[in-house]
Amino acid sequence: MPEAGLKIKIIGVGGAGTNAVGSIALADLDKVQFAAINTDAQALTKSSIKEQLLIGRAVTRGLGAGGEVDIGRAAAESDREAIATLVGEMDLIILVVGFGGGTGSAAACVVAEIAAKTGALVLAFATLPFHFEGSRRKRIAEAGVGELRKLVHGLIPLPNDVLLQEGEEDTSVLNAFAIADRWIGRGVHSLCIMLLKAGLINQDLGSLRSVFQRRGGKTIFGTGIASGGDYVKDALDDLFICPLLHMGDRPAQLDRVLVNVVGGADLGIAKVNEIMSQVSQRFGSREDIVFGAVIDDTRSESLEICILAKAEMEQRTPTKAENANVAESSTSPLQVLDTLGLETDVDQDQLPQQRAVHISKLLSKKKAVAEGQDEFTFNEEDAQRGYFEKTDRNVYKDEDLDVPTYLRRGIKIKLR
Amino acid sequence: MAQSRVVGAVEIGTSKVTVLLGEIVGDAGLNIIGHTSCSSKGVQKGVITDLKAASDCVHAAIMTAEENAKTRTDEVYLALTGSHLRGNFNVGTTTVGSSDSVVRSADVEQATVDAKRRKLTADRTYIHHIQNPFSIDGQQVENPLSKEGDRLQVGYWSVHADREIVSESLRVISGIDLEVSDMIISSIASGAVLLEESEKDNGALVVDIGGGTTDFVLYRKGFIVLTGVVPVGGDHITNDLSIGLRVGRKSAEESKIKNGRAYYKAEDRTEKVWLYGDMTIGDREYPLAAITKIIEARVSEIFDIIKDQLVDADLYVPADIASGVVMTGGTSRLVGIEEVARRSLGLDARQSEGPRDVSPDLRVPEYSSALGLLHYALKGQEDEQQHAKPVGIFPRLRDILNF
Repeated sequence: MPEAGLKIKIIGVGGAGTNAVGSIALADLDKVQFAAINTDAQALTKSSIKEQLLIGRAVTRGLGAGGEVDIGRAAAESDREAIATLVGEMDLIILVVGFGGGTGSAAACVVAEIAAKTGALVLAFATLPFHFEGSRRKRIAEAGVGELRKLVHGLIPLPNDVLLQEGEEDTSVLNAFAIADRWIGRGVHSLCIMLLKAGLINQDLGSLRSVFQRRGGKTIFGTGIASGGDYVKDALDDLFICPLLHMGDRPAQLDRVLVNVVGGADLGIAKVNEIMSQVSQRFGSREDIVFGAVIDDTRSESLEICILAKAEMEQRTPTKAENANVAESSTSPLQVLDTLGLETDVDQDQLPQQRAVHISKLLSKKKAVAEGQDEFTFNEEDAQRGYFEKTDRNVYKDEDLDVPTYLRRGIKIKLR
Repeated sequence: MAQSRVVGAVEIGTSKVTVLLGEIVGDAGLNIIGHTSCSSKGVQKGVITDLKAASDCVHAAIMTAEENAKTRTDEVYLALTGSHLRGNFNVGTTTVGSSDSVVRSADVEQATVDAKRRKLTADRTYIHHIQNPFSIDGQQVENPLSKEGDRLQVGYWSVHADREIVSESLRVISGIDLEVSDMIISSIASGAVLLEESEKDNGALVVDIGGGTTDFVLYRKGFIVLTGVVPVGGDHITNDLSIGLRVGRKSAEESKIKNGRAYYKAEDRTEKVWLYGDMTIGDREYPLAAITKIIEARVSEIFDIIKDQLVDADLYVPADIASGVVMTGGTSRLVGIEEVARRSLGLDARQSEGPRDVSPDLRVPEYSSALGLLHYALKGQEDEQQHAKPVGIFPRLRDILNF
């Protein structure tokens, strides 16, 4: 059964985060609470979100952070108590933030830190700036991702360049941001509906927690949508070409996978079975995947599939250590990793331990594997480098040449 | 009977390891007696990332070539590439010493030493000092000796490399008890055999697009004036396709070979191609434009970067590159790549047909660097006979490896 009284709050931080949350229409989920946190009083006034918090009035006089991370951080630090009140006592908190600016990039980390201390499961959707927005915003975003990843249970990075690669060639910038908001909307909606609506196969907060039992690491998120005709096949096809799900040649790395489908009354158990078997084939064995299926009576002949997963960080020893027998290197792999700029994951003891409401078989099975392994955080842009993920940056005039040229230049690629 | 030695020309490329065995007999005659080309392992973007895997692969290739030729290799010439290769142009100047203002060999020596004076940091090592023309009082001269003037100048294009990366390559060869006689950067090796003397005189740009890197060399008035490495090659095209089409590397590589074209045409939007084309589950149709747009973006960027480097060096003068662009390397097989080179560089461009004086199976792009190495092995011998061997190679290698 779906949990009665499950408390979910979606918090937009900064200008882009507030806009995105404002555009998420969850009419069918009246139990979800929405809130916005910003340094810009005018932007907040324009937002339709009822619960609002203006932070850092003393620092910015309500005029925004002007793209300065230090100001954004100071603003959040000066209003910790107000943020804690807004965060409240929730079961699930979803932060929505656009990285690259002053407020979102810095304040989101303060909010996340406060939220994690309450014992809630904290997830974050974060858009990353377009390439054309310049290298300064990119650097701010990378730093923000690195910090936020350690504070939340799951960080879902949404690189705007990647989201927009399938848009129309004449997509305007304003439209482009709207498309990014739509992706966040799909993710948030799918998560909430899974937890709040009754279904053929129910999923609860415990299953969600089982996916995100460890902080840090890489979170994978993807969706597929279709309606009419052969909507099961079309939705699966849409899911399989979801730009966020493509991980090069290593789908086996996917670990702790949660799959939720939302369909109308016509979605029978046979169709659900078909979806399950195809998704399992693609993303791992049946045992590694937790399925949920929700029936939404307002839908018919339409289907939405959502995947959330943690990718196990590869236990790869860097090449220099692999050559240790030849190079006579006496440094340990960990020391080598330090020199490569990779940081070991945050200490799990730093933050209160969470006890799952529901222990799934997945959790108990994976726990043994997870223990004794060190996860490593990694740099976000690596996700766009595919085959070259583990190699040195290939920088030429401030661009990493290993990232596909078409992504850096915003060239739209239609796959249908 | 004339004395002969067997030279192994080895290129440890990102996608292929190529070995040619050449027998140099007596007075500068060369026979190619064995060749192998096999898939490379442990190399990315032209740099060895896994010494053991790369060594195993190179050793196997050399042994296969030796078995084919039924002989042993006496020495190795090694091709170098990778973004760690850098170059700079230095001009050496000297005031002619004698009272009658006639240039003597001591003056030439002095100018040459002056041109090579630039010291590198401890982690770098020189690979080549390539001589450019002499000039006396600003007038270019072919041979300055015995000419009159006050100020003698000579330019050098000097190529240097990362000491650690080079020694890694040398370790691969020393691991099978072979000695490296010389190292030559891939672009210069390719250029030496692909261009006619007249083309070098008219000016030409040789672009060797391989799996992990694109190496280029610019000839101007018969001299090498610029070399460069763009650490981007066919592997990048495959990776872009893998990400863009959401398929594994293998399927991306197959799509590149089967349907790839270097530039996009409007008709590509309506032409559909199958991803796998074998009716298996997961096969899907998508517009050809997806492939061609992804490839065009990447390939044009490679040429844009080359043009950038020519412009930065003040050498982008189309009239001085009259013989145009000559392309080689595995990725030069991509359909339409000359067209993209033409558009991006604003120069005439063509595929190399390979050196004319070798057998047809060696005229393929994969062998041009290795053939160039043998060319230099032969030329080095000629130089020796004239008692004018340019640089002391052995001290240099010893220096890099810290023997």
